[in-house]
Parts: sequence; structure tokens; C-alpha cells
Amino acid sequence: MEALDQDLEESEIDLASEPMLLNVGPSHPAMHGTVRIVMELSGESIERCDVQIGYLHRGFEKMCERGTWTQVFPYVDRCNYVSPMLNNVGFALACEKLLGIEVPERCQYYRMILGELARMSDHLTCNGAMTMELGAFTPFLWLIKGREMIWDLMEEETGARLTHSFGRVGGMAHPPTDGFKENARAVTRQILHIIDEVERLLLGNRIFLDRLEGVGVISAEDAISLGWTGPCLRAAGVPYDVRKAHPYLKYGEVEFDVPVGQKSDCFDRYMVRIEEIKQSARIIEQCLERMPDSGPVNVDDPRVVLPPKSDVYTTIEGTIQHFKIVMEGLKLPAGEVYSYTEGGNGELGFYIVSDGSGTPYRVRIRPPSYYVTGGLERVITGQMMADVVPCFGSLNMIGGECDR
Amino acid sequence: MNMDWVEFGLSAAKAFAVVMFAMNVAVLLTWADRRQGAMIQDRVGPNRAVAWIPTKVAQALAVLPALGVAAALPAYVKLRGAELTGSAEVGAALAVSQLAIFWVWMTALVIAGRVARRGVRNSFDAFLAGLGDPRRIFYFGIGAHAVSLALGAYYRGTETGDALTSVGLYGGAAVFAFAVLFGAGYAAYSIRNEPRIGLRLVGLLHPAADGLKTLFKEDFIPPRADRLLHSLAPLIAFFPALVVLAVVPFGDTLCFGVDESGSIQLTELMPVVPATGVCTEGAVPLGVLDLNVGVLYFFALAGTGIVGAALAGWASDNKFSLLGGLRAASQMVSYEVTMGLTLIGAFMIYGTLQVDDMIRWQAENAWGIFVQPFAFVMFFAAAVAESKRIPFDLPEGESEIVAGYFTEYSGMKFAMFFFSEYIAVVTSSALIAAVFLGGWHLPFVNRAGIEIAIGETVFFSQQLPHLLVVLLGVVGFVGKTILLCWLQLTIRWTLPRFRYDQLMKLGWRKLLPASLVNILATGLLVLLVQNADPRVEKALGTAGDLTMALVAIAGLFAFVRLVLFLLEPTTKRRLLATSTAQFAAAMGGTPTSRMQA
Repeated sequence: MEALDQDLEESEIDLASEPMLLNVGPSHPAMHGTVRIVMELSGESIERCDVQIGYLHRGFEKMCERGTWTQVFPYVDRCNYVSPMLNNVGFALACEKLLGIEVPERCQYYRMILGELARMSDHLTCNGAMTMELGAFTPFLWLIKGREMIWDLMEEETGARLTHSFGRVGGMAHPPTDGFKENARAVTRQILHIIDEVERLLLGNRIFLDRLEGVGVISAEDAISLGWTGPCLRAAGVPYDVRKAHPYLKYGEVEFDVPVGQKSDCFDRYMVRIEEIKQSARIIEQCLERMPDSGPVNVDDPRVVLPPKSDVYTTIEGTIQHFKIVMEGLKLPAGEVYSYTEGGNGELGFYIVSDGSGTPYRVRIRPPSYYVTGGLERVITGQMMADVVPCFGSLNMIGGECDR
Repeated sequence: MNMDWVEFGLSAAKAFAVVMFAMNVAVLLTWADRRQGAMIQDRVGPNRAVAWIPTKVAQALAVLPALGVAAALPAYVKLRGAELTGSAEVGAALAVSQLAIFWVWMTALVIAGRVARRGVRNSFDAFLAGLGDPRRIFYFGIGAHAVSLALGAYYRGTETGDALTSVGLYGGAAVFAFAVLFGAGYAAYSIRNEPRIGLRLVGLLHPAADGLKTLFKEDFIPPRADRLLHSLAPLIAFFPALVVLAVVPFGDTLCFGVDESGSIQLTELMPVVPATGVCTEGAVPLGVLDLNVGVLYFFALAGTGIVGAALAGWASDNKFSLLGGLRAASQMVSYEVTMGLTLIGAFMIYGTLQVDDMIRWQAENAWGIFVQPFAFVMFFAAAVAESKRIPFDLPEGESEIVAGYFTEYSGMKFAMFFFSEYIAVVTSSALIAAVFLGGWHLPFVNRAGIEIAIGETVFFSQQLPHLLVVLLGVVGFVGKTILLCWLQLTIRWTLPRFRYDQLMKLGWRKLLPASLVNILATGLLVLLVQNADPRVEKALGTAGDLTMALVAIAGLFAFVRLVLFLLEPTTKRRLLATSTAQFAAAMGGTPTSRMQA
């Protein structure tokens, strides 16, 4: 009896196979911030994939249109829940740009210090979460310990650990506390110490380096055309940092470096974040030196800033002023403005339109995560399934900001 | 061979002991694993499971066993002390007096720890608290050990020495009995006013309660899964993990007297045995199975575990499970090869497959880690890979494929997978301890007693009771196993995990060729040593003794450091005392819940 496959071609003997379609997310351990990736897997490698966002859409921009300008602050807190202070300051700056006012020097430094602390917390969380998803638990706990210190400090300053709602148009909700400078110095010192420890633990680790080096590479051109900004773009070798390119607050007067990567892989993104924490510490140190210990924090403009409580209860002018700002909201002149700052993940822009009433006509946010997540598909296609973890982790998608 | 009831009972007892050992250490590891994470986050960790017992019962539980122990040792010494003569008497005196000293300082330390936590309540508490740093008690204990040993060695063979021997034997027994009774009595006394006592075993009840809880959880089987295979998989994964320990002996062979028919008399334990050779009659090896295929049995059964993981992945009707099952199968098959090949070098040197004989070879020459260092490292890596834990936990890599092959398991079936992983850690540690770290052998301890000798120079030699030598061996084996388990836990908490292709590259391109080179190099060395002249052989013997000295010194040093580390006073330090925290503290802090108290 002759063999059945005698006159078959080699290719016909092969088992019929087709790629496996795998839904990862939106509820999946690595898909923090609820995103869904549909992958076509050939074995373990990703042939095609489709990144689907929007699971955390809460109508942020529409919500802003139904309150006063001041009432937007709690919403921006919840856009980036890892570094809310940067969003607070960014939005306050946008409103102040439309008003044409500038906050006093003391407040500018105060905003910078709190903002840089928030940036530290952002980067600590991002790097920590990424190492944890790679399986290394100790570095995660160490880095989160650092974030905890920042939160303690924030709690002391603002009264809230996470959603501070501390920014105000024309200033801040409160002046710095008495022990602020001392506390901030202690926290920065401790965090630098933690960073050193984590570097010693991870950067000599062959497994860690193998998992990150050469993984998730994207070219600088692609990154620019996708609209990437922030640490991810800088890891691609483009030294664009809003704080340097278009200085706001007092960033033009402090010394700091913009770290850039060379290979644009996950390792570069990890290292850029680590280096930025160190640069933030430098900025904080300089700001602490220059920040006046006394003086006004808020602008001296009764149309913008709430009067002190003593005036509200004792003078008729104070009462009226308080009533008007609370009930009608402070009035931004009619017009539109785009204001942008360096958020935790890149250029955080607010495009606001005012019709002259106390209510925003339109608030549009340019969330850095949205554009960065847009590049995720390009970054992970062709990689192995396990590489999704460091790639997605190092892009640091913040769901609240990306989906708004 | 006809097996009588005594032997049957002994086998059953040994099997029970081994299974209990594996399961209990596994529970301990689960607890330590979770405790680790909790402590870093400043939480209490898993210690909420509690069994409330009435105070009277607790007092009885503390006092009755203590009464038994305190009566047994002096009675034994009184009955047998007269029979002992010469070196055997000195050995017994040494053992009893050191045990008494150990028990005294240990009891003092435990009570001092309690006092430090709950404050001074009576005059004895005040005395302990007055000593200050608890490390002083430990220093005192170490000093007492050293002084008693030095005195014994100095006056050896003189009349003062004989007097000291009697003091050590009878006085030691009395002090031991007093310390045991005092400790138990103190515990019973200090709880007399409590309405009830919560039994927590430092939190160890918690993992036990968790295990029990899983029995009552919903047992979910996906609708389109293969019901039979889905249910079979956890059993297939769990069973081999438990039974592989059978070939690993946990202690040296015990020698009993025999009656005329040749059956073992359990009451007639040999007081002292010769240093070399094992008794031909009345021998009870402390291992469940003494198979001539030895380690091969371990590999054969450990390999079966793969089937469980692969089946679970296949039968679950879930793509994540399938990926996990595939990863598990390929990973475990790959590393099984390395595991087997790394041990071949050890087989060549030991000249046997039986674990018991391997340990005897190591006891006579040098521990496996010194004669096969590369094999030790590679075997350890492969063993971690076999137990599917970080950095080799790809089959369940939770951030990639959810939970891998056991994604679709719940309740007790999940717990069986979970538990078999921890038991695999224990069994692999036990095997490594037996093959590379001398198993139950302790440096300079042979079957007859202690003999500190390097080359042909004997520095110190002392007979010890047979039972004591064997017990020391069991303690040593358990200690080595737990040390290796601790090492595996530390690795699990520190390292990130590999990627699939990196794992395969490490297995096939690095570990496998390296293990082959190791076989070749070992073969050449064995040939060289066999054909070398006697002087080289003698030098090698001395080198082996030196490694023993190294292990002994390093071990003692590590033990002292560990105790000092554990006794180091810890202080909680907050970097920033926020206003909220200060306010809360001023109001008396957060009340502790009843469950945590």
C-alpha cells in the first residue's frame, strides 16, 4: 500500500494554523487604567494588535461647562491621579493667562516645588509599577515608600493625600505651612536615597536589563509625528521639555538638565524617568532657597481671589465679594487661550474658551497620555506577548487623563 | 523480607512525618511570603486567624507538657546515669548541661520579649527589664556555653573533671527541669487574669485557615471545559510534589536492639554506636523509602507534575490557560534535562544513586557544594525553574497571562496548585540540602560523637549519646532545608521574571552545555584522583576537613548574627509626622480591632 501523502508538496503537509486572537483587557492585571488590546498572536509573538481606549471616559470636558472656573479644579485632579498637582497648576496658569495676571513670586516657587514633587511621585509610581509587573516586587515597594513620603508632605500642605484641589486662579488655597521647607528638604533627600538603592538593586541585574533593553523601540520621527511629548519623547532622543523650551513660572531662572535617551527603548524610558527625579530634586532645592518666607501668595485682585475670612464676617465689601465669587464665579474675559505646561507624561495643554460669564464655555485638555498611547500599537507590534508589560508600563498611560 | 508490625508502624510514622514536614514548611513559606509584603507596607500581615481557648485550658496546655518533659529528663538521667561510664558519661553530661544552658537563656529571651511588648507587671519582669537590651541575655548565654565547654575541656580526665561531669549531668538535668517548669509556670501565671486566650501561632493559623476556607469556596468549572481533565489536573500536580520527598532521608540511621527472632525492640535504643559503619541488625533508616534508584525516583515523579500543569492549561477552555500550559510544559521539560545532567557529576563522585549513601560520602569527605560547585548553582537554578517561581514563573506570569494555567480554577483545586508550588519549593530545597549540603550531616559530628580533626591531627574528640547525634542531624537537615527555602523566597522577592525566549536560551544554550562540560571536567578529575599517588589523596582529605572547618565556623557565625539581628530593637520612624497623624496620636491613636489584638 502506498503512502497517502506521496505526491503532496512540503507545504501541504504542514498543519493548518492560524493566528490566535486574544483579548487582553480591559480587566487584566497589566492593563492598569482600563485599556483593551486585541492581539493576533502567532505563538507568543504579536503579529497585529489593536489598542482600544475609552473605558474610563467620564465626560470631563463637558462636566467643566456646568460650574464655575474654580469648580474645575477637582475635575483636573482626577484627570491625572498620579500627579494631580501638576494639573492643578496647569489649569490655574491657563486661567491666569486669559486674565492677564501673574501670581506673586512666593506662589510661583510654591507651585514649582509642589509640581516637581508631584512629578517625582508620577515617575516613582510609573517605574515602580513597571518593575512590579516584571515580577520584581521589592523595588516597587521601595519606590512606593518614596511616593508615600510625598503624599505625607502633600497632606500636610493641602489636607488631602491624592486629590488635593489645591490650585486656585490667582494663587493657591493656602500659603505654605511653617515647616514646609524643612519637610520638603527631608523628603527630597530620602527619595534620592531610595532611588540610589533601587538603582543598585536593578541596574546590575541581567534579567531586568534583558527585559528592557532593545524592547519597544520607536524612532524619533515616529514619536514626533505621533505627537509624543515628555519622558517618552525625550527617551527617543528629542530634548523637548516645555520647562526649557517655553519656560513658565520661574523655570527660566533655575538650573536643571533635560535627560535624553539614545536607543528609545523601554530601558531609556526607565532611565529618563529616574534622571528626571534627580533633576526635580535639583529644582526643588533651588526653589526652596529662593522662595521668600513671607509675603503674599495670592494676587491682590478682589475680583479673582476670595477675601480673607475675617473680612467676610466683618465688612460688607468682603461679604459681597465673597458672595459674588462663590455664587457667580470669577469672570474670565471673553476670549480663548491655549496654555501648556510640562505634566508628568509630557505637554499638558489646556485650551479654554470663555464667553465672559462665570462659567467655562469650553475647556479642552491636551492630555499627554492620549498621544503616547496612540503609539502603543506601533511599539508592541512584532514584539513578544511578555513585552507588552514593560512597553505599556514605560509609556505610563494614565486612564483618567487619556480617556477624560 | 517479612515485615512485622513494628516495621510497618515505623514506616507509617516516617511517611507521616515527611508529609507533615513538607506541608508545614509550605504553610510557613506561604505565611512568610505574605508577611514579607505586609511588613514592608507597615501592615500587620496575615495574623487574623485565631482559635480562642479558655484560660484554664491554655494554662493546662502550657504546664502539662512541661511537667512531662521536666520529669522525663531527670528520670532518664537518674535511671541511666549509673550505667554510663567513662566517655559516654562525659558525652551525656555535655549534652545535658548545654541543653540546660540553652533552655535557660532561651526562656529568659522569650519572657523578655513579652515584657518589652506588654510592660513590667511583677518583680521578675522588673528584673528582666533591668537587664536592658535583650541582646545582653544572648551574650550571657553564649558566654555560659563557652565557659562550661572550656572548663570541661580544661579539667578533662582529672578528678575535678569527674566532679564536673556529675555536676553537668545531674545539675544540668535539674536546671533544665527548673527552666522548663519556670517558663511554663510563668506563662500560665501571666495569663491568669485573661478571660480567654487567642491561639495564633504568630500568624501561622492564618494560612491554615485560608487553606480550610478554600474547601468551602465555589468550585467553578468553565461550561465548555473538559470536566474530567479539569478536575484531574490539580490532583496530578499535587500528588507528585508530596511523594518525592520519600527518597530523601531526614536523619541518620537509628540503631535499636533486636530480640532473638530479629525484630526490632523499640525500647532498646543503642546508647552509643561506633563512628563508622551502620548496624546490620535493628537499623531504622530515617527515610521513607530506601530505593536503589534513589534520585531517579525523584526525577520520575517530579516530571509527572508537568502533566498536571499542561492538562490544566488544555482542559480549561481559556486562551490564557492554554498559553500558560504550553509555557509550563516546555519550561519544565527543558529544565528537567538540565536538572538530571547537573547531577551526573555528583553521581560520578559519590558513586551511588541512593541519597543516603550520597550523604555518607559527603560526611566522610566533603560536602557536595565544595566538590561540585557549578553543579550546585545550576541545579539550584533548574530547581527554581521546576517549581515555577520567580524568575521562572512564566507559566503563571500574572501580569501577562493573568494566572496562566490555573486561571480557571477556584476553591480547593486552585489551592492545590498553589500549595503544590510551595511544597515543590520545600522538596527541591530538601533534595539540594541532601545532595549538595550534606543532608543530616553536621561538620565534625560522626555517628559516635564529636571529633574535631584536620588531616590526622585530632583536636578534640568526645562520645555523644546515639539519640542525641541523630536528633542533631535531623535538626541540621531541617535547618538546611529552611535556609534554602529562605533563599528561594528572597530570590522571589527580588528578581524580575524572564521572557519566554530568554528562558529557553538560558536553559538550552547556557545551562545544558555548561552541565555537559561539568560532566566532562568531573570525569577527568575523577580519573586524575584515582591515578594520583597517596600524598595527593591525603592532601585532598585534609582539604575536605578544612572545608568542614569553614562550614562550622561560618555556620556558628551566621547563627550568632541571625540571633543578634532578630534581637535588634526596632523603632518605627516616620519621616514626617503630619498634623493628621499627630492629632490621631494625641487622641490615643487608632484603636486596635479585636481581631488584631
